[in-house]
Amino acid sequence: MAIFGIRLFYLQIIRHDYYKKTALSGQLKQYEIVADRGVIEAHDGDSVVPIVLNEKRYTLFADPKYIKKTEEVADKIQKVIGGNQSDIEKKLKSDTRYAILAKKLPKDKKDALDKLDLKGVGTREEAIRTYPQGDLAAQLLGFVDDEGTGKYGLEQALNKELKGTPGQLKAITDAQGVPLVANTDNIVTQPKSGDRVLLTVDVSMQRQVEDLLKSGLDSAKSKSGSAIIMDPYTGAIKAMANYPTYSPAEFYKVEDGETFNNAAVSSPLEVGSIMKPLTAAAALNQGVVSPGTTYYDPSFYQIGDAKVTNIEEDGGAGTRSVADILEMSLNTGATWLLMQMGGGEVNQKARETWHDYMVNHYRFSKATGIEQGYEADGSVPDPNDGFGLNIQYANTSFGQGMTATPLQMGAALSSVINGGTYYRPHLVDKTTDGQGKVHDHKPEVLQSNVVSGQVSGEMQTLMKGVVDKNYALYGFKERPSTYLVGGKTGTAEITKPGGGYYEDRFNGTFMGFVGGDKPEYVIVVRVNEPGIKGYAGSKAAAPIFTSLTNMLINNFNVTPKS
Amino acid sequence: MTYSHSLATSQRRFVANNQNTTKFRANEAALGPVSNTIILIVLACVLGLLYLTQVTKTNAYGYKINALTTQASDLQQEHDELEVASARLQALDRVKNSTVAKSLVQATPAGTLSN
Repeated sequence: MAIFGIRLFYLQIIRHDYYKKTALSGQLKQYEIVADRGVIEAHDGDSVVPIVLNEKRYTLFADPKYIKKTEEVADKIQKVIGGNQSDIEKKLKSDTRYAILAKKLPKDKKDALDKLDLKGVGTREEAIRTYPQGDLAAQLLGFVDDEGTGKYGLEQALNKELKGTPGQLKAITDAQGVPLVANTDNIVTQPKSGDRVLLTVDVSMQRQVEDLLKSGLDSAKSKSGSAIIMDPYTGAIKAMANYPTYSPAEFYKVEDGETFNNAAVSSPLEVGSIMKPLTAAAALNQGVVSPGTTYYDPSFYQIGDAKVTNIEEDGGAGTRSVADILEMSLNTGATWLLMQMGGGEVNQKARETWHDYMVNHYRFSKATGIEQGYEADGSVPDPNDGFGLNIQYANTSFGQGMTATPLQMGAALSSVINGGTYYRPHLVDKTTDGQGKVHDHKPEVLQSNVVSGQVSGEMQTLMKGVVDKNYALYGFKERPSTYLVGGKTGTAEITKPGGGYYEDRFNGTFMGFVGGDKPEYVIVVRVNEPGIKGYAGSKAAAPIFTSLTNMLINNFNVTPKS
Repeated sequence: MTYSHSLATSQRRFVANNQNTTKFRANEAALGPVSNTIILIVLACVLGLLYLTQVTKTNAYGYKINALTTQASDLQQEHDELEVASARLQALDRVKNSTVAKSLVQATPAGTLSN
């Protein structure tokens, strides 16, 4: 009895910790329960359709230590998953305890493998993103990498919300891994699914914009470009397309990482003459000019060592109006508007005033905060620090020497034509959390009184005048009469890496709106380095604007003028 | 005088003459140490059995819960797969390339700004 007692004391008291640990190592199951990533949906007219869903897939792995008849096992596995038997066999013979034999297997193959009941072979469940609409809105959406982290686009910007909160399981289990519920130390925390996100985007519009952008770029012999359609009264993005694009389900096949970027928000450029309406709006809003003001245009301005000139077709010196500045796209006209802000010359006052409008009214050089990864700020030169400030600022009046993204331009134009309110551009309409609570994302005002209501109306008329005068050049069959269509072209020089501009390389831009009694949609188009002759703005970007305008009128019920 | 004699004497002091005395004393059936041990062992066994019954019963619910959880998980997965299949069937590209769509005739929209 004494020996028994001593032995029991030794085993149960002295060796307690050791045996408890040994027992728990076989019985205690402890792991994280991954939360379902939130689904992404979009509008399709009046209905809602999913555009990003989750699918369960399985990774097939083996522990070669437990596999004796590798050839036989490899043969059985190959018959289920396909592929090369010798490759599988090679992996089964490898010097590792965890050999991955296949990834992303569907459930039927997983079930077939389970039935084989192969010792040392197992499957691990993983959730992958699936895209029912294929490559639609790829850069806008982004993708999820193998670690479950959102990369680029919406997936990156809303990674935290989409990811959800993982659950936890810590339980004593039986031999089959079933938790024994009688154990009071068990911890089971259910995971919280990520938010379900409804976008402001309309899938049908998005598809058509992508098709028309691609077609327009092909016609212009351009390799890349972007297009945006947004609601000027809310900042809601209705469509945002880029070319070239990729399939987010096969993101690993993309060779050029730049393809992942949503260029419409992450790639700022010198925007060119589409800046002129904003310069005009600033001058009008300060009351230094009115739409009817005329001036003598000398066809060039000497500013310091530099000369501001116009394109040859603009006809030389003469009396011009504010409307002419936009309709004829006069660089000298934009410079003249800047001069009026300084009391008649480009000086410190003019620079500071125009800088205030660019940065504080139009919010250039500040990211808009749209739900996108890698959004760029753009740049605006300091009005009082640097060399050649006057010519730098003269250049900014017609969109050179500063950079902005197409989205920033669209948001700024929206604020100018909607009565003077800058809404934060946004892609998320609603989110629904794991408990089913719906959160509406209401339009957010970032800046009021960008311009006055009167100036806003005047700018609509001035930009409409540009299209009325140039409609044939832009590709319209007839002058728009039943709809309100306004816009402005831009042909921007491209900077050389070492400074200065290329003489033969340009980007084409177009910024405009379409509506009936009031603008309903703002459109921004960017065409990078078109290969056709003529001005990139009117020859390459404008036809895409025209196609998009017609698409909106034909298919999306733009209300005609009453 | 012994102690017992002294006790008898003192008891007798309170008894009157010709008075019967009655001694009330219960018959105590005391259990021996062996019986006590057996009873304790039996009780411990009963309690042990009761505990085991309850634990087994509770854990049996665990299997039911596990089976139901697995079933719910399978159904959820099936639901998710159907949702994906449904979304794919309604995808724009699929509709656009369908036989029905291909047989449609293009109509010229009225009142638009054709280019």
